[in-house]
Amino acid sequence: MASPSSAPARPPAFRSIGRSILLTLPIALWSLLMFTPSFRSGGRALSIGAVLVIVFMTSLFFLMMRTGETYRWRRIFFVALGFLFPVGFIASLIAERGTMSIPISRMVSGDTPFCFMVTPALILPAAFARTIVFPGSILPTASNPHSIAVMIGLWFAFTLVLGKAWCSYACFFGGMDEGFAAFGKRRRLHRFVTKYGSILRLIPWAILLCVVLLSAALFEPFYCMWLCPFKTVTEFPAVRDLETALQFGVFVTLFVGLVVVLPYLTKKRTQCGFFCPFGAFQSLFNKINLFDIRFDREKCFDCGLCQTSCPTVALSKESVREGKTLLNCMKCGACVDACKKDAAVWHLKGTPVAVKPERARLLFLYGAWALATMFGGSILANSIATMVHWLPLK
Amino acid sequence: MAYEAVTPVTGRSAENRYTTRKMAALPLAASAGEALVLGLTTGPVCLASCGPVVLPWMLVQPKGIGPHSRQLLLFLAARLAGYMVFAAAAWLVGAAIPRAWSGRSWAYGGIELLLAIALLVYAAGWPRPRRALSEPSPRLVRIGEAPRPRPSGAVALGFLTGINLCPPFLVAGVRAAQLAHLSGALFFFLCFFAGTAIWFLPFLSLGFLQRTPAVVTVARMVAVLLACWYGFSGASLLIERIING
Ligand code: SF4
Ligand code: SF4
Repeated sequence: MASPSSAPARPPAFRSIGRSILLTLPIALWSLLMFTPSFRSGGRALSIGAVLVIVFMTSLFFLMMRTGETYRWRRIFFVALGFLFPVGFIASLIAERGTMSIPISRMVSGDTPFCFMVTPALILPAAFARTIVFPGSILPTASNPHSIAVMIGLWFAFTLVLGKAWCSYACFFGGMDEGFAAFGKRRRLHRFVTKYGSILRLIPWAILLCVVLLSAALFEPFYCMWLCPFKTVTEFPAVRDLETALQFGVFVTLFVGLVVVLPYLTKKRTQCGFFCPFGAFQSLFNKINLFDIRFDREKCFDCGLCQTSCPTVALSKESVREGKTLLNCMKCGACVDACKKDAAVWHLKGTPVAVKPERARLLFLYGAWALATMFGGSILANSIATMVHWLPLK
Repeated sequence: MAYEAVTPVTGRSAENRYTTRKMAALPLAASAGEALVLGLTTGPVCLASCGPVVLPWMLVQPKGIGPHSRQLLLFLAARLAGYMVFAAAAWLVGAAIPRAWSGRSWAYGGIELLLAIALLVYAAGWPRPRRALSEPSPRLVRIGEAPRPRPSGAVALGFLTGINLCPPFLVAGVRAAQLAHLSGALFFFLCFFAGTAIWFLPFLSLGFLQRTPAVVTVARMVAVLLACWYGFSGASLLIERIING
């Protein structure tokens, strides 16, 4: 195996400043368009949030163009989304109902904001019993704008265009474990992950099947009731008895273990790669999606850097030899950036591999960043607005 | 409804005896038709409650419609045996089962615990004789490897789901208990079974799915996770029952 250090490093400036600005212009315009309503009717706090998000998203895109790197800049956005989403969400819950827990009355009246994570669990009960097993409303209401139809519509539009890239550019939870994985340099459990990666990456599929089957059997969203680590930092059923106390205990344990401790120790997105059933469900859409990551076998010298860099173990020796990623690739770009021989490339399906890969990257990034700005950007703007509102910044 | 007021007289209420006479006059075909319709309409509920057990079992079978049909037949035959046992018990105990039988949560809890054990045993491979307890099962170590289909697995899982007290099953039990003869009750459950069994046919389509080590491993993981759930659910029912007396 050749030493990776012998390969030439990527040049620091990939494009000229002028060309990078030119390529960033569409995203700048799109951001302005997206946030114009916030300036018109959102008040001072939301306007500040909108300005900051426009600058933030446009600058990151510019840096992607200028350096030719994707992962580093995308991660800044994604971690910010992961950490700021709960701030805005919890603040709005506290302001509205004074607690993070969902009172039974809210569940009965269908006022629980819909979370896309529950989508796969809805399929069987909806198909066989024409029932949505979630205590939310199907259409938006004044008290619950995050209705089932709105959230599923947004998710579906994003997924059709980008497949599992949802997990790198849109999910407002994924940035949390990615953030904790970014702390520190030492990979303490690296060998464990390398050795058992092939088994670990199958766990989300098993959990997905269990969640779908048990949700149909029990007629309740099983994942939300028992398994979601993010309930800890969003909302959870009010603790009333031993069962709800136990549920809360499970949520906290999973959050601490999978979102905080293990990502820090392994430098991998352990919740996303080794647990999240929605992530597994999302992988299916990689099959019908336009973009993927491929490996130019003529340039690849099997150094293994791409595999080490992948945050979700979506590469195996065999898959790289076949020139492909595994189904659970999130299109985060880490492997492409890590490859010093430019053997890992962005690819538009149906075109020859490694011919004009930068064009495929650009096409992908325009779609991904536009949707990230629209979806994640508005969450960020709301969270910033909440902070501006709460902090004594007058 | 006729079985509303329950005054046990040798396991049967006065009103039930009246109903029994009425039911006895019903032609066999009407009773069969009623059971079949009940089975057909409540089939999705049966499918939902048995699905978690059937799916991982079918996924570890070799690819092909043949092996899948055999396993499904075995499973359904064992399930039918479970139904017959329940039908006989329901007829003997009478219509008081659903509301007056104080041991219902014992049965629920016990059956769920047995299901958990069956799923775990099948997922880990049957324990081998003379193997030290500390030594892990070779099948658990080689977790991705497809096991040889063991008929006993389908039989155990089929029988346990057959006596699992799901809601449509209880409704059918109450109806069967009202019949005049044991043979009538058994026949009623046979027809009810036929109605529900049709809903299991889509599982045969799993025979077309490619069997890779990954599929088999996922199926085993599903079995272990479901065993944990049934174990937890069964144990909490039993504990609750013990605490509340
Ligand atoms: S794997 Fe799950 S939590 Fe992670 S980014 Fe995807 S949907 Fe979100
Ligand atoms: S294979 Fe590459 S692009 Fe896909 S998740 Fe892994 S590092 Fe990211």
